[in-house]
Amino acid sequence: MTYPAAADLTLTAAIAATALPLAAFAVILLLTRGFPRLSAALSIAAISVALVCAGLLLVRHGHLETPLEYSTLWMAGGDIVVRVGFLIDPLSLLMLMIVAVICFLVQVYSLGYMAGDPGFARYYAFMSLFAWAMMNLTLAASLLQLYIFWELVGLSSYLLIGFWYEKFSASEAGKKAFVMTRLGDVAFFIGILLVLLNFGNLSILELNSPRAGFLPPAVVTVSALLIFGGIVGKSAQFPLLTWLPDAMEGPTPVSALLHSATMVAAGVYLLARLFPFFSMSPAALQVCLAVGAVSMLLSATMAMVSRDIKQVWAYSTISQLGLMIMGLAAGDYVAGVFHLTTHAGFKALLFLCAGVFIHACGGNDMFEIGRRGARHLKIPMICMIIAAAALSGVPPLSGFFSKELILAALAGRPSPIWLAAGLLGAFLTTYYTFRLIFIILFPRGEAQAKDAHADGHNSEAGYRVMAAPLIVLAAVTGVLGFGGHALGRFLLQGFPGPVPGAGHPTWLPFAALGATAAAVGLAWFEFGRRGADQVGFVERVEPLRELFRRRWYIDDAYRWLLDHVLYRVFSAFCAKNDQKVIDGAVDGLGGSMAAAGRILAVLHTGSVQFRLLVVSVVLILLGLYYFVYPLN
Amino acid sequence: MEFSNFPYLTAILLSCVFGLLIILFLPDEKKQAIKQISAVFSGLTLVLSLVVFCTYDTGRAGLQFAERVTWVPSLGISYFNAADGFSLPMILLTGIVFFTGVLTMRELELRVKEFYALYFLLVTGVFGLFMSFDLFFIFIWYDVSLFPMYLLIAVWGSTRKEYGAMKLTLYLLAGSALILPAIIYLHVAAGGTSFDITALMRPGTFSPFQQKLAFLLLFIGFGILAGVWPFHTWSPVGHVAAPTAVSMVHAGVLMKIGAFGVLRVAIFLCPEGWKFWAPLMATLAVIGIVYGALAALSQTDLKFVVGYSSVSHMGIVGLGLSTLTVDGLNGAVFQMFAHGIMTALFFSAIGYIYDRTHTKMIPELGGLSRVMPKASGYFILAALTGIGVPCLASFWGELVVFIAAFKTYPVAGVSAVGALVIGALFMLRVVQRAFYGPMQAKFAHLADIPFHLGIPRMILAAVIVFFGLFPSVLFDVIDSAAVPFMRGLP
Repeated sequence: MTYPAAADLTLTAAIAATALPLAAFAVILLLTRGFPRLSAALSIAAISVALVCAGLLLVRHGHLETPLEYSTLWMAGGDIVVRVGFLIDPLSLLMLMIVAVICFLVQVYSLGYMAGDPGFARYYAFMSLFAWAMMNLTLAASLLQLYIFWELVGLSSYLLIGFWYEKFSASEAGKKAFVMTRLGDVAFFIGILLVLLNFGNLSILELNSPRAGFLPPAVVTVSALLIFGGIVGKSAQFPLLTWLPDAMEGPTPVSALLHSATMVAAGVYLLARLFPFFSMSPAALQVCLAVGAVSMLLSATMAMVSRDIKQVWAYSTISQLGLMIMGLAAGDYVAGVFHLTTHAGFKALLFLCAGVFIHACGGNDMFEIGRRGARHLKIPMICMIIAAAALSGVPPLSGFFSKELILAALAGRPSPIWLAAGLLGAFLTTYYTFRLIFIILFPRGEAQAKDAHADGHNSEAGYRVMAAPLIVLAAVTGVLGFGGHALGRFLLQGFPGPVPGAGHPTWLPFAALGATAAAVGLAWFEFGRRGADQVGFVERVEPLRELFRRRWYIDDAYRWLLDHVLYRVFSAFCAKNDQKVIDGAVDGLGGSMAAAGRILAVLHTGSVQFRLLVVSVVLILLGLYYFVYPLN
Repeated sequence: MEFSNFPYLTAILLSCVFGLLIILFLPDEKKQAIKQISAVFSGLTLVLSLVVFCTYDTGRAGLQFAERVTWVPSLGISYFNAADGFSLPMILLTGIVFFTGVLTMRELELRVKEFYALYFLLVTGVFGLFMSFDLFFIFIWYDVSLFPMYLLIAVWGSTRKEYGAMKLTLYLLAGSALILPAIIYLHVAAGGTSFDITALMRPGTFSPFQQKLAFLLLFIGFGILAGVWPFHTWSPVGHVAAPTAVSMVHAGVLMKIGAFGVLRVAIFLCPEGWKFWAPLMATLAVIGIVYGALAALSQTDLKFVVGYSSVSHMGIVGLGLSTLTVDGLNGAVFQMFAHGIMTALFFSAIGYIYDRTHTKMIPELGGLSRVMPKASGYFILAALTGIGVPCLASFWGELVVFIAAFKTYPVAGVSAVGALVIGALFMLRVVQRAFYGPMQAKFAHLADIPFHLGIPRMILAAVIVFFGLFPSVLFDVIDSAAVPFMRGLP
């Protein structure tokens, strides 16, 4: 805060960027629910201003040696102080920009995609809620503030996945997403408490400073692992990965925004945010690396057998997030964040293209989409191929550069197993990506005469509104890769954590390219070439296909635990215990009282003779008593 | 006799009593007039409690708005009302729930006069208890608030109402059977000259043994009313049986009386006993948190779900009280307030839904969001509050309690935090089954909440969001009592 005037403008921009979407949310929900167009306009206006502010901040602080921190008191009571504020450093500025851009594009796209939906205004209200929570999460200055908005992001995700609440699968998926991420968040919260207890401070800057090095190593490791639990939940990593494919029940723009580019990336963002802190514990990083690798490979295998276009991209998201976590855990901060950036662009693009196809062809099945002639939709088809190539790491698209950096970081690890996993992951990724592309491009069987374009509910104007964001994102995907060096320099300004040494084996790019080429070739052989029967090699092996399709039985395990352990044992026990044991005891007490009363009531016969008899007996007994024991 | 300035607290009580008298003198058939009078007087009460809340000086520790009239000098009984940081949130809570409860019952047709008269009597007792600093009066107010409950549930209730009413009354009388001996015991042990809490709480008044004994009696006695496990089973049954506004007061305010009694009487007078029994309190609280959430998972009646969630949430209050820290007290009182507003909103929304659909069985509901988006919205908002979503009031209470608990009892704290997952599961399960899904034809003709019936729900929702965004408004008040109290302990 050396430049008060400059700081003021920065602060104003940050406040505007984070507060306007909330205002839009409140206004839409309270006032303009009956006016869908006005609601959309409000929401888009808010996010546009936020986008301008994010851009302004980025330009203004292109050279930022020391992070800026603003904070104010939110709540204070006893020993507990919760501060809310902004931490402005290269990482948060970059993430803010990504969030603002994708939010803006997706909201514009939704104008076409959601047109005519009865919940149009509600949709934009929730989108604004999400934008607000996500931007605050990005700029959060303390871990507790980050957690608060982390939960709010989870809430908006729940609301948006279950947006079409009349569909059972949608509301079920929303619930599943919320509960599974909550599972991770509990660990995250306990991790925060542990840090608070031992460190006495939750400021992110403080945590990342060398001061945190005085903490006992065991505490650092345990709290880092607990915080990583939250990352596992939010970024859908193993073992909490199954909610993300189900989350595809939400509207496609939601999948593009929340469940690929921004919200699920928040987990990776948190890891990058606390990278210096995590770096203090090699053991924790090792766990992160393993979890990332397992998630990357598992979800890639699941993507190889799926027929649902959105599910493939969902699995691919898990897989790529795993790769980012691997990159960070391997010690390369820039590689992980760079891949997060490029991934946000091309994965959003992939989903938005899929959305156009789904809208035009009325279904998620990729074979069906191919047969309905999706390849005639020129703009989305070309954009999707560009994005798919970027995902596969084809040069010179953005994904190639960022993936290369991560692989280089993996090559720097002592054990070769991580690099092998990374290369295998790259191979599988390319394979399932081009499997999907070839299936849509070269449909088999009787091509249906119906042209996708003329399929009805997709108006020309709506199509054009949806196409514009695609073109923007495709252009970004094309050029972003060349900004890698500049981005690295920008990110490393004043960075307190360890920076890996430059340089990687010269053969690495060739190995990666070789893997990609081999995978494209295999996909071509099985799905692309004339006469191919479009059945993949894993699909030929029955048990393998079943294993992948059932998601390695992870879901079944959860289902079993929930039904047989939680509901049938614990919950039933508590409910039954209340009825039978506690209430039984109380009612039994009441019953025995009543019974005792009934027995005593026998004495009250109402006959005078009986009463007189009792009175005289008692008197005689009393007299005997005093006769035997005189009152001395 | 001693009055600081205008006797606001007595004015609150009098506005309830005047309302009660006017209702009693109106003829039975003037239902509309009775409802209007009730709304006016409960509104006046709310305004007065707001005034008290806002004019309270957080910078000045100690009792404010004190009013004292000696009644029976030989026994040391006096009418002694005052407000401190612990009771103010409760007074405000009672004011809000009272007013919104009256508005919620606008459609009542059965025995309107008797209903409102008893309702006013009930609330008078509740207000009195929160304000009083005299043990004798606390006991009287406690029983004043119990007696109308029985009739309100037995006459206007539903679902096994006689059983529920009887069970509730017997449980609470059992509680008062423990409280009364404890109060007399303390009175006699202190020399038999005073019922004044401020005098009795001076260190050294009671020996550690006396404190331990009295604390246990008071804790169980008031704890029954607070729904402490395993004395909680009256509460879900009572919630279910009670009519809407009574459920609101019952879960919203009456359960707080229990927790407040533990704080005001047991903890204030017997700090040594508090320290001695705190591990027991924490254990029961955590069992309650987990047990309530688990039991709520398998309920099929909307009100039962909320009833068991109350057991779980009141466990958080108990956990806060057991931590022996300022933070724990802060969080517990905040959570009492937040939970009160939240359950009031729950029952208010359920009341409307039940009036229209004539069912509160979850399997029979479904798809209500399409038919009555506002009513469903209020329920969902309450459910999200219950889950502990940030920026809604309950979050702050839970946060502060968990931080405090984690410091004092790490294992208990971790288990309580873990129960959050179960909490999310059962709340969202109910929301999904009852409000999501395809619209059912049998409900298609139902109307959503009209504006005039929506007002009480709007007020409650606004309060939840307000204190979710500005928790300091409440924490500052509570803190002004918790800090001096903890500092004054030996």
